[in-house]
Amino acid sequence: MFASLFQALPVALQFGSLISLVVGTLAGILIGALPGLNPVMAIALMLPLTYGFDPIIALGLVAGIYNGSMYGGAIPAILLKIPGTPAAIATTFDGYPMTRNGQGGLALKTACWSSAVGGIVSALALMTLAPMLARVTLAFGPTEYFWVAIFGLVSIAVLVGKDISKGMLAALLGVIIGLVGIDAISGAERYTFGTLYLVGGFELLIVLIGLYAVPPVLEMAEKRNESYFNADSFRVTASGGSLGLLRRHWKTWSRSSLIGVAVGILPGAGGNLAALLSYNEAKRRAPDPDTFGTGNPTGIAAAESGNSADNASAMIPSLTLGIPGNLVAALVLGALMIHGLQPGPQLFTRSPDVVFGFMWQMLLTAMLLLLLGGMVATRLFAQVLRMPTALLVPTTLVLMAVGVYTVNGNVMDLYVMLAFGLVGYLLNRLAFPLAPVVLGVLLGPMAEQNLRLSMLISQNDWTTLFTRPISQGIIALLALVLLSQLWKALRSRRQSQHRGI
Amino acid sequence: MPMNYRDLFSGIAFLIIGTATAWMGKDFYADAAYVPIGAGALMGLFSLPLIWRSSVSILTSRATSQPVMALVDHPGRFVATLACCLVYYVALPSVGFYTTSALFILLLALVLGERRPLVVLGITLGFITLLYGLFAVVLKRPLPVEFFLAY
Repeated sequence: MFASLFQALPVALQFGSLISLVVGTLAGILIGALPGLNPVMAIALMLPLTYGFDPIIALGLVAGIYNGSMYGGAIPAILLKIPGTPAAIATTFDGYPMTRNGQGGLALKTACWSSAVGGIVSALALMTLAPMLARVTLAFGPTEYFWVAIFGLVSIAVLVGKDISKGMLAALLGVIIGLVGIDAISGAERYTFGTLYLVGGFELLIVLIGLYAVPPVLEMAEKRNESYFNADSFRVTASGGSLGLLRRHWKTWSRSSLIGVAVGILPGAGGNLAALLSYNEAKRRAPDPDTFGTGNPTGIAAAESGNSADNASAMIPSLTLGIPGNLVAALVLGALMIHGLQPGPQLFTRSPDVVFGFMWQMLLTAMLLLLLGGMVATRLFAQVLRMPTALLVPTTLVLMAVGVYTVNGNVMDLYVMLAFGLVGYLLNRLAFPLAPVVLGVLLGPMAEQNLRLSMLISQNDWTTLFTRPISQGIIALLALVLLSQLWKALRSRRQSQHRGI
Repeated sequence: MPMNYRDLFSGIAFLIIGTATAWMGKDFYADAAYVPIGAGALMGLFSLPLIWRSSVSILTSRATSQPVMALVDHPGRFVATLACCLVYYVALPSVGFYTTSALFILLLALVLGERRPLVVLGITLGFITLLYGLFAVVLKRPLPVEFFLAY
């Protein structure tokens, strides 16, 4: 399988692929630098534009946007104390104090190098672990896939957010949305209410754009019109050489990258958790922990390498099992499906060029950060913060409209997108996590088809779901996740009772 | 509205959706009914703890520990943005993509408080030119035709 990995390198180095990597990385840094816009939204908006492209070009754009936006989020975090992406929260702790101390240049350079190192380690983990896991999953049948889908859905529903019942309700809502349309096995219409539009079901991309891209734009529209630009923050002095950074931070980078990779593989844990864990670990091991929070570059190195190391490793369960580790991974699955590719172990044998090419692209875009995220470029990217929100809102809404319209050439899709946007906005305000909804739409049909296939093969013998050894292993893992969450909830309740709250 | 009231209403809404899904699902053909009934029933089941907890919290007049975010921060801007979107979608097929989009950006920027005409015009023009270059020239995607070119 590793031979296929090296055979895919020329595919990733094709001219079209390289262009998509550069464009994606530049777009990612710009998007990440704009508070309010996030990589999920950017990738969701970009996917409809790639329908006519070769899958490797589409995935190149995804890889570039993903890695680029993770670094881009550090720019406003360091210059303005506004995290461009949720994963950049930990970067503000030391980034902004460094800017105030006139060390903004060094802070940005540290962030750029740390993001690149984290991204490279993560891509290497993807390249080595995914093919091995894919080989194991070749032994999976419909029963195992049913449980894998249930595991992905339930673990994300209970791990994301604070309330298990809200997470489960969100996931079930996604499953129900995924049921609308013609049933692929029996051909019967389900929940179409006699409407022609609903016969085909909801287009995944429209649901994604509606749920993820519309709510942040509506929230941005509600705020006062202002640009994030602050002239004082941009007076940054030049920084020292790169070799000095390597010498100073290699230990932090190694530790934080490993934390990021481990967090990325876990379903439901995101880049912000990786960054915070890495930051805490760096602080704990530092000889001068008191300087953390006052402008210690090691804090930036830990946070940025941690959050970027989560990127590619989150793709490991997505590409091998079809269960996404985070939302961007869910979008990558969407991108593969749009191009007629089915995620799972078969992907490694049926389309090795695409899957291994994508792994190379993740590595190349992490390296590209060093070229494209230099000091001059970073200051240039920071200029996007001059864009007033009153103009950012309508331009983003037009981008969404054109992206959604080009899917089917149907204006009705725009109304559906807006309706999903309102649902997403409302769920957000009611403290329901949105990630399980999207995963419900994605994994619901996978679970259903494999369940029905299992029943068909076993002639409606329900015990088949519980008797196969791999299925039992997945059920045990599922029980472990549920019990750990239950234990956590009980402990937190006991602690609050103890405190008399 | 306090969080416990929101939880109560959302719990009831999910209970209704879950029950309706399961009820409608029972009429589906053979095994096509498994997941609709299961998902609907589970949704109803998981909405019960939410309803129970919020009801107890309301009855005992206890505030929830979750931070309360306003349902809508600025209703005026929120509704204006939605209204502009709806007008944009209605006008799109008949007026044309580029014209409607340009007018939409100008109008919504104005509604959201941008008062620098040169900035608004410059960004609108630049953005629409970029879209034209990308969709009409590079990608050659069919978009609603401009009203002045339709005849």
